Amino acid sequence: MHKPALIALLILGGLSAAAYAANQTVRQHGRMFSTESVTIRKGETLIFQNDDNVPHNIASVSKGNEFNLGSQPPGASTDVTFTEVGDVQVICAIHPRMKMTVKITN
Amino acid sequence: MPEPGFSRSTLLGSAVAAAIVFMGCVADICFAAAIVGETRYAKINPDTATSLEGIKAEYRRPALIPFPKENPYTPEKASLGKKLYFDTRLSVTSAQSCASCHNPGFGWGDGLAVGVGHGMAKLARRSPTIVNAAWGEIFMWDGRAASLEEQALGPIQSSGEMNMPIEQLMERLASIAEYKSIFAAVFPNEGMSAKTLADAIATFERTIVSERAPFDLWLEGNEQAISEEAKRGLVVFNTKGQCSSCHEGWNFTDDGFQDIGLPGADVGRGQFLPGILKMKHAFKTPGLREISRRGPYMHDGSVATLEEVIEHYDRGGVVRPSRSDLIKPLGLTSQEKSELVAFLKTLNSHLNPTALPDLPR
Repeated sequence: MHKPALIALLILGGLSAAAYAANQTVRQHGRMFSTESVTIRKGETLIFQNDDNVPHNIASVSKGNEFNLGSQPPGASTDVTFTEVGDVQVICAIHPRMKMTVKITN
Repeated sequence: MPEPGFSRSTLLGSAVAAAIVFMGCVADICFAAAIVGETRYAKINPDTATSLEGIKAEYRRPALIPFPKENPYTPEKASLGKKLYFDTRLSVTSAQSCASCHNPGFGWGDGLAVGVGHGMAKLARRSPTIVNAAWGEIFMWDGRAASLEEQALGPIQSSGEMNMPIEQLMERLASIAEYKSIFAAVFPNEGMSAKTLADAIATFERTIVSERAPFDLWLEGNEQAISEEAKRGLVVFNTKGQCSSCHEGWNFTDDGFQDIGLPGADVGRGQFLPGILKMKHAFKTPGLREISRRGPYMHDGSVATLEEVIEHYDRGGVVRPSRSDLIKPLGLTSQEKSELVAFLKTLNSHLNPTALPDLPR
């Protein structure tokens, strides 16, 4: 394969992987996360989307990946980009039954 | 709420987050390392049931009591737990037991505005009931106990409550021959320890379950079990009153934390999540089973009657940044308020009398 084509493929591959990661959405519905665990790469983004009929307050106190979305009304979706490798425990501060893990890899 | 389809960048939020990065962490938590980006808003159709049949489906009783696999049920363990629960020797003065504040005669609470602890001193918060604690996700008004086992050891050791150092308690119990033999029989591989003490008390507490109430009989098909007024109250509860936004499911709680706008300096859950604004003045949503025999109400016992509770929610409470977005004036009519009270009274079951245990000597 020609070198330029290989480089183009690598770039496209990288872009599509990033696009895939950026499109991963964690929904909140029925006071539950749509998944118990999701794996992404460092620097990638998750969308936290409130499909419920009550506000949620998604947050994490996991060291290195702390965040707090505040009170998210129904219908809100927010991007969160994770910057450190590790397992991040994500909670809804309002609803303690809601827990999930974001695994961030290199 | 923003208009449907409205989209904006949360530049301000990002700027605040960035500022915190440069300031370093505040309190116990810093929110800076993950990057919070754009927030978009879309209109969604709420799927809250509004028909009586749809509402009924939300409230069916579970068939079994859940026991954790780390602490499975045995009748012998529950029996030991009952002895410990009613034994005043678990307090340093030998004058208070778990049942002093969580008394079956008062719906497993104490009927007081706030609890009374060591030296008859008043505590800051009301004693919650233990009814249906088996379904609890997190414990104490501020959620500081992650399990019922952990909760059981808290008041025993708290200087303001039973004031009993756990080592001293284990020595005291070990000096009572009958307790030693019962612990050995119930926990053959573990014997007597703070852990097995907590396991036994928690197992007993999980057996305290509200019996079938008129509301349950109605769910099961007896149309005469509750009044037409109460049925209308259930609809208000699930619609205009928005009560079911937090008081959900068969036990009428989401185990969640909300600032419902009660005046007072107690920060509640905010003590443990100081970086999360909505947790300031937030307290755990109590279940509503047996509710009309469990007054006074709220975490601080500041509201005497169910009627006044509904008036509080109708007014919307203190306006402050931490107040839940769900709390706002409701515009309930006097008829709707009466219907809500009528409904809440259908949640009282006929709790069987509790026989006191013989205590080891």
